[in-house]
Amino acid sequence: MSQTDTNKPNETKEMELGKFGKFLKDNGIDSTRKDDSINVETIVISVKDLEPALRLLKTSSETKLNMLLTISGVDYTDRIDSIYHLWSYDHNDALVIKVELPKQSQANTDTVNLTSIANFWSAANWHERETYDLVGIRYLRHPYLRRILNPWDWEGHPLRRDYKQLVDALNDKNPHSFR
Amino acid sequence: MSTNLETTNLKTDEMIINMGPQHPATHGVLRLILKLDGEIVRHVEPVIGHLHRAQEWQGQNRTLFQYQALIDRVDYLSGMFTSLAFAHACEQIDGCQIPPRAQYLRALVCEMNRISSHLLWLGTFLIDLGALFGFPFYPFREREKLLDLFEEIAGQRMMFNYIRIGGVQRDPKPSWFEKVRKFTAEFPDRIDEYEAIVTQNPIVLKRTKGVGILDKSVAMDYGVTGPSIRGSGINYDLRKTRPYGIYPELNFEIPLGQNQGDTWDRYMCRILEMRQSNNLINQCLDKMPEGEISGKKQIAGLRIKAGEGFSAIESPRGVLGCYVISNGSDKAYRIRWRNPSFCNLAVLPSLLIGRPISDIMAIFGSIDVILPDVDR
Repeated sequence: MSQTDTNKPNETKEMELGKFGKFLKDNGIDSTRKDDSINVETIVISVKDLEPALRLLKTSSETKLNMLLTISGVDYTDRIDSIYHLWSYDHNDALVIKVELPKQSQANTDTVNLTSIANFWSAANWHERETYDLVGIRYLRHPYLRRILNPWDWEGHPLRRDYKQLVDALNDKNPHSFR
Repeated sequence: MSTNLETTNLKTDEMIINMGPQHPATHGVLRLILKLDGEIVRHVEPVIGHLHRAQEWQGQNRTLFQYQALIDRVDYLSGMFTSLAFAHACEQIDGCQIPPRAQYLRALVCEMNRISSHLLWLGTFLIDLGALFGFPFYPFREREKLLDLFEEIAGQRMMFNYIRIGGVQRDPKPSWFEKVRKFTAEFPDRIDEYEAIVTQNPIVLKRTKGVGILDKSVAMDYGVTGPSIRGSGINYDLRKTRPYGIYPELNFEIPLGQNQGDTWDRYMCRILEMRQSNNLINQCLDKMPEGEISGKKQIAGLRIKAGEGFSAIESPRGVLGCYVISNGSDKAYRIRWRNPSFCNLAVLPSLLIGRPISDIMAIFGSIDVILPDVDR
């Protein structure tokens, strides 16, 4: 798929802050609210605020968002989003946090960088490894950042929009290939 | 060169042992790199991905209608649940209405699938504990009956493709409901039979009591869900905490572990869950309304509105989530799975460290991981 991806979902307009957005603002972290994803508050925060915000939301007795469901990476051709789905074991509120990472160059092998949260949230460890493997977000300061689902010698990140499989995996004639 | 042979000076080395991926007790293709000090496990590194089939990539390169047929393979023991999670996410983005009969049929087949999945777990768990002869085939006897019932409504025994976006695929005949009733009438006796053999069996107690204690705070930090965390006493079941479908209208209890969250607690949780599921099937059969079975036309060019959403359901292994980003066309822009096995497996190293090597299979069996669900 080419870099001008016409199928990209439309950009959403900004909205008023919700419950968790206000909580973060009270604690000095700015966020912008995006369209809800099925009635769940969705906010965008900056790269530098990610770690303090998640630390706060996890431990604060006010929010108690202590369940990290998943970390997903989504390639929007010009940027990559790292998306955190937070739930709680104690109550029924939920929050989606997005961090937008602009791409430095258009090369498929090029990774974008973000701080890892695996040091204080064990659940993030494998999710970050998977997102690194498939989408190519390099989580800095991750304890063990290496491919988890693909073989260690795989080239490229398969869930990039411009990913092309380099060789035919079934009819591989390359004698140096490990596959 | 020293000739001192005092025992205090004997040097022992840690040994690295590779377990799997073809080990018969790793339920498929899990590979564990173990660092052992004698019999004691000092370090574990699970290596996964041997069964990776690029389900997320398939999701964004196939139409929604094509992809529906593939997602049963995400977790092949509980295909109904993976279909339901995907259908749920798409329906909530689309906003289409599900007819009540389809809702009840979904709950009915899901609870049947929960039983069949737990039955397979029971058989393999006991094989892991060393009960190689005889007993493990008892659960398979009942599982066979359930698979026959599935075959009658879905046409396949394991890859159902029965729950579709908007409803279900086929309306079962009245005779099918009678067969299900017959099954539920005899099933509690069968569970009694398993329990008579296993639950207070001294060998099983010795292998499971106090083994693999999953601490509450560790479990929550790792995002463990399903019977594994309910065994530790945390009441977290989406059917109660975030009810979906018709579960608010049904009566059931959530079994919890009574002790500290050891292997035996997790075993007991699943046994009690099967009894609850049997009860739920009966309630669904009693309340089954008449009417339509699909709220959306099943055509090859099926499309949903633009939008994004995360939807999760309670599968036999925990919270199974599906995150769909749709751009309004017949293909999804991105599909992301949140698999309970993947998250529950991540907690395994912290359970194994410090335990003897013989406990590995008891602990690993008790968290009920299914490898295609880990690797997708």
